[in-house]
Amino acid sequence: MAGKSKLLKVVLLGDGGVGKSSLMNRFVSNKFDAQSFHTIGVEFLNKDVEVDSEAYTMQIWDTAGQERFKSLRTPFYRGADCCLLTYAVDDLQSFKNLAMWKKEFLFYADIQDGNSFPFVVLGNKIDVENRLVPEEEAKAWCAANGGSPYFETSAKDSTNVDRAFKSAVQRLRELEDRMDIKPAHGNTVDLQKKSKSNPGCCG
Amino acid sequence: MTAHTQIQYEKESVFIHINVSDAKDKDAHIPGRVFLMNKPEGVYLEWKAEEVISLDGAQSDQDWTMVRSVAYRNDRDSDAVSSMNAKMDSRRKYNISFDILDLKSFKRSAPNHGWAYIIFILKDGTTFPALHFHNGGSKALLKEFEKYVHIRRSPNDSRLFIVIEHDPEMLSKSFDELQLFSDSSGDLVSKFIKDPYTATMGGFSKVTNFLRNVLILEDNPTTRPQEEVADILQEDIPGMEISQQESGFEMITKTKLPPRPTVTRGDALLPGQWALHLDSEGKIKNKEDLLERIFRGGIEPSIRIEVWKYLLCYYTWDSNHKTRQEQRKRNVDDYFRMKLQWKTISAAQEKRFATLRERKGLIDKDVTRTDRTQKFYQGENNQNLLVLNDILMTYCMYNFDLGYVQGMSDLLSPVLVVMENEVDAFWCFAGLMERLCGNFEMDQNGMKVQLAQIHKLMLVYDPELCHYLESHDSGNFYFCFRWILIMFKREFHFHEIQRLWEVMWTDKPCKNFHLIISLAILDSEKSTLMENNFGFTEILKHINDISLSIPLEDTLKKAEGIFLQLKKYKKLPNDIKEILGLDVSPNNSSSSSAHPTPTGTPVNRENSPRLELPLHISNGMNNSGSGTAATTPDDSSIEILTDTVDSAINNYYH
Ligand SMILES: Nc1nc2c(ncn2[C@@H]2O[C@H](COP(=O)(O)OP(=O)(O)OP(=O)(O)O)[C@@H](O)[C@H]2O)c(=O)[nH]1
Ligand SMILES: [Mg+2]
Repeated sequence: MAGKSKLLKVVLLGDGGVGKSSLMNRFVSNKFDAQSFHTIGVEFLNKDVEVDSEAYTMQIWDTAGQERFKSLRTPFYRGADCCLLTYAVDDLQSFKNLAMWKKEFLFYADIQDGNSFPFVVLGNKIDVENRLVPEEEAKAWCAANGGSPYFETSAKDSTNVDRAFKSAVQRLRELEDRMDIKPAHGNTVDLQKKSKSNPGCCG
Repeated sequence: MTAHTQIQYEKESVFIHINVSDAKDKDAHIPGRVFLMNKPEGVYLEWKAEEVISLDGAQSDQDWTMVRSVAYRNDRDSDAVSSMNAKMDSRRKYNISFDILDLKSFKRSAPNHGWAYIIFILKDGTTFPALHFHNGGSKALLKEFEKYVHIRRSPNDSRLFIVIEHDPEMLSKSFDELQLFSDSSGDLVSKFIKDPYTATMGGFSKVTNFLRNVLILEDNPTTRPQEEVADILQEDIPGMEISQQESGFEMITKTKLPPRPTVTRGDALLPGQWALHLDSEGKIKNKEDLLERIFRGGIEPSIRIEVWKYLLCYYTWDSNHKTRQEQRKRNVDDYFRMKLQWKTISAAQEKRFATLRERKGLIDKDVTRTDRTQKFYQGENNQNLLVLNDILMTYCMYNFDLGYVQGMSDLLSPVLVVMENEVDAFWCFAGLMERLCGNFEMDQNGMKVQLAQIHKLMLVYDPELCHYLESHDSGNFYFCFRWILIMFKREFHFHEIQRLWEVMWTDKPCKNFHLIISLAILDSEKSTLMENNFGFTEILKHINDISLSIPLEDTLKKAEGIFLQLKKYKKLPNDIKEILGLDVSPNNSSSSSAHPTPTGTPVNRENSPRLELPLHISNGMNNSGSGTAATTPDDSSIEILTDTVDSAINNYYH
């Protein structure tokens, strides 16, 4: 925080109980609290990172996953620089809901082109024994969704947590570079706007 | 610690209080050490939990009892070592470490507080739990701090100290941002003439804060006479009236509320007194007296199990021994009938019953994350979690339309702890949900209405803070969401929440008292929010972080005081009266209900009858509705601003 670094807003999404808050706390303070509460409202933590020798402050936003609180959660999507879509490998439904989360995010963050937005997908609780979502299936989903990077994490034993969060920054840099190379990018906006204004979406 | 790290300061016996109620509870205060460390990457303040020494004979008595209490809780867990490790983990999570360049301000305990504590607040709004210096040493630490940062005392809150930004680059940046001395500064002035309200709140409060900082930062530390400061202000704000006697320089608009009366709180209702409230048939003699008593002092824990049943509509107020016995019997039958409804759903049925499956999953996940630090719910395979689960599942059958919504497990948990019985806890919870079900509606409208009501109340009670929040994207009071949704459950310690709730269940002194409690808490945080110039994210973070460090009795006193101020205020708008359930007098028809203030939209300031224009300068925060200003001596002279911490502290304790 003390130095000069670029502020990145990162939104953590996923079903209730998949481990969003635990991942955030592991990443930011390297702690895992087995007695933690479920999230009510919105919380965020800042973390300074260095990616490719550039300094960033990641401002990580964590919300409650239940459908009921959607209207109080979605205003926080605006202005996000990247989004971590999270499920738990022992919770099939949470994996199936990834598409819903992505759609909700794109709609309320008002992002035209979902494929050039940096999503990273996290399969959490990799330490548990009764895994229900095969890694291949998750990877296939990512491939079909703009080739988002995929990480299997454990907030509990800290597997891959650091890498997953930092990869969000890398992904952002990557996609920004790509946009710089393609100056004609603006031409595609119209089309995407059309598809976005689909009224049924997430409404 | 590496060879490069130098310890500038170290102090043992610095505690974090995680459960202040129970002094006997060895887990209530976590012992630790504070360090000020010179590291290669900067100067860091750290607090580390004291390590629990291993199980050989070398440990102190205190450690032994600590280990024993863990073993007692996990009675099935004979492995004391692993439980000790778990304990250490759960303590380490409180560890604190920050670069002191990130420090924005800190709050000290009031002088009459038993031991000194300090609450540190960072630039991003992060607010750490209070560090209690049981063995002294807080002054010495702050003296060390002085070597690295400049500190001044808030003119408005004598407990609050602000770190002054002394990076020259930062200063010129603020100049640029304000464009105070460029051509466009005239802009601000013309804006002011057109729309004094917005310009003042948005621009000038920045200017005044800013000037204050500049003045303090003068190389020559002698204080400037107030007139001079006023002159500077006057140059930029033509036509402004400046009250020379007063010491703050915040522009405010005042609601002239009557002064806040002194409020006293009483003792808890004791078992003997409770018995006297019942006649020979077991009927309550005087409900109003009883409620007044509970409002004033709460209930002694041992009789909550009885009294809460009235407050939560399990028993009616005119019930007697006999009718209550019948009631209980009906309640038992009813409860198990509903419990059987979901218990008898087969696995095959459940496969085709998505709603039930979903609710079951949610409840299951939330129950394991509800008050697990409380003894009652601690440890793996704790049976009480099953009871929580069953009550919530049964509630889904009782109120299928509402179902289970996150937050309900928080509401049930203290009720179950008091009732110690599944059926009674269920019905009391159902009674509690009668009060709060609006918070959990699908469209969240109940929540939105209440947040908007806090806004309305704040606009009358303290327009200055209200406009500060509005101009920092916080006019929707979203940061109060958790407070309202679960009645401050996460903001106070467990035993305090039981007290707060029983007080609120009396429905005294007015309707929606919880909204006034919100005002009271925000009033106490006002200086911290405004003088640190916190924006949307910092406000949100600070408010999230002060949970568990809000003083309950003081807050209740302040809240009642605020209510009395509002009640006495002759020009109290009708919509506010309606929120508080006060008589709406017909001759006060110039009410503002003609222009309501829906959530999110700015209020119509021009027509607002409760605001006294034109604006004037006064010593700001103390005056805007807090009656204490009249009685407490004003300790906020500008001299204090330039004081070193040391003398400020001496002043403070003189
Ligand atoms: N085994 C295991 N458990 C985990 C892991 N991460 C989180 N948990 C546990 O899973 C539960 C849910 O974790 P949270 O971090 O509260 O989940 P969340 O996504 O923030 O949930 P909401 O706040 O309800 O949206 C908690 O009991 C955690 O202790 C993990 O990597 N492995
Ligand atoms: Mg969470």
